[in-house]
Amino acid sequence: MTTAATGTSSIANEIQLEVRDRKPFSLKALLKNRWFLYTVSLTLFFGLWKYVDYTRVLGNGIAPPEKVVVAIWRLMTDTVAGKSLWGHTWASLNRILIGFAIASAIAVPLGILMALNRYVNAVVKPIFDLIKPMPPFAWISCAILWFGIGEPSKIFIIIIGTFVPCLLNAYMGIRLIEPQLYDVIRMLGGNRRDEILQVGFPAAFPAIFAGLQISLSIAWTCVLSAELVSARSGLGFIIIQGMQLARPDLVLAGMVVLAFWAWATTLIVTYLEKYLCPWKRETSLA
Amino acid sequence: METKTQSKIECRNISKVFIQKGTQRVHVLEDVSVDVKPNEFVVILGPGQSGKSTLLRIIAGLETPTTGTVTLDGKEVTGPGPDRGLVFQSYMLFPWKTVLGNVELGPSLRGLPKKERRETAQHYINLVGLQKFEKHYPHQLSGGMKQRVGIARAYANNPEVMLLDEPFGQLDAQTRYFMEKETARIWETERRTVLFVTNNIEEAVYLGDRIISLQGKLPGRMHASYEVNLPRPREQTEMKFLQLRQQITDASELVL
Repeated sequence: MTTAATGTSSIANEIQLEVRDRKPFSLKALLKNRWFLYTVSLTLFFGLWKYVDYTRVLGNGIAPPEKVVVAIWRLMTDTVAGKSLWGHTWASLNRILIGFAIASAIAVPLGILMALNRYVNAVVKPIFDLIKPMPPFAWISCAILWFGIGEPSKIFIIIIGTFVPCLLNAYMGIRLIEPQLYDVIRMLGGNRRDEILQVGFPAAFPAIFAGLQISLSIAWTCVLSAELVSARSGLGFIIIQGMQLARPDLVLAGMVVLAFWAWATTLIVTYLEKYLCPWKRETSLA
Repeated sequence: METKTQSKIECRNISKVFIQKGTQRVHVLEDVSVDVKPNEFVVILGPGQSGKSTLLRIIAGLETPTTGTVTLDGKEVTGPGPDRGLVFQSYMLFPWKTVLGNVELGPSLRGLPKKERRETAQHYINLVGLQKFEKHYPHQLSGGMKQRVGIARAYANNPEVMLLDEPFGQLDAQTRYFMEKETARIWETERRTVLFVTNNIEEAVYLGDRIISLQGKLPGRMHASYEVNLPRPREQTEMKFLQLRQQITDASELVL
């Protein structure tokens, strides 16, 4: 803290903090520089990728990074199976939005109700515990048998996959509320309804949002696996097309676009939470 | 004169036994009787695990006594209510509400019109010295400021009795001294009947008109009662202050 400004008396303490010498270039400092290390890390990654392609250890199974970029560019301008990249993206996104909306609209209120009412809890919990450990993809065959290979079966998989984290987080969100917060309401003259409205909902809100966020990333996994099994459109379909045409650049391009949209939609939910829970803003940013 | 004034709070032979895990009985309070006169500042003093917080929660109506009764203005207490304002050790502010929102909570639960509840809240925010912080959220405040909000919130509902449960237990020593001074000032401005729970002898002598000390192990029993006849504002370094503090310390050590 007191590095610079030698020879001055203690009155200058405040100024001493501001005076900081620019350090001369050194290798040690460079190796500790965050941005330098990021560059090294990414260079290594893409270098290794290029190298694997160059030595052909994976045969024709891999395309170099630049070809993937070209493939993404072509996807944006050309069409695959009669749909542009935007069309396929929208097909996947549409399934997710419908499935996610249905699942959260049922699971969140049910989770809250289970946490607030022990009779509802006693009826729903055994069934829920039975279904909970089942991986959503185990349902794909059932879904196709019940709903065919069209849209409903894919949406069904997304609902199954996102239902569990939505419900669980809403339930735990209510359950883990500090009981003394309810005491505050009761001491101030509030009734049971005030307890739920003034404490229950707002206190559980962050947990509910965490559940929605987890659900959304699961929804992308679900839509992909459903599309890999049977689909005529969607980002999963592009990946399958690339595999069947033996075009690794198309497979990787599909994966990159998918990752981008999964990231982007999660970001939207994150920002929605920050907007709706201003009291968490300072703590959860950074 | 003293005998004629009716007690504000009367605790008659309070005992409390908690049943844990179905069978285990924990005897927390045994035959505790406390009378508090109107506008009196009574401190309940006891070390950790002496049942003092439980006694306060019983008076608040958040716990029911196993035996005995609590009456407020001659009416038996059967549950929590807005005639008593409770200040919590760990603040218990609502993190999703601003300072103003937290202080307004009581008046808004009672259905006061917006203008009126805002005025009330503002009055008490000013009283505790938090003007200009109305729009802050609790996580932006220091511990001392949070408890100021806690005190303002309890006051804003205009309770007859203020119950404070080790309100400064989580504060550092310096802030604690300052908050004790503030508590005395606030109480001088807005007189209420106060029951103040603490484990700090100095704090008890500084604030109380009367100190009721509980025995230092469970079940909590009445141990001694001290009238504090020191003029306010008090000074922690005054001779009489130190004498009383020493007297209580010596007496407590006998029990421990």
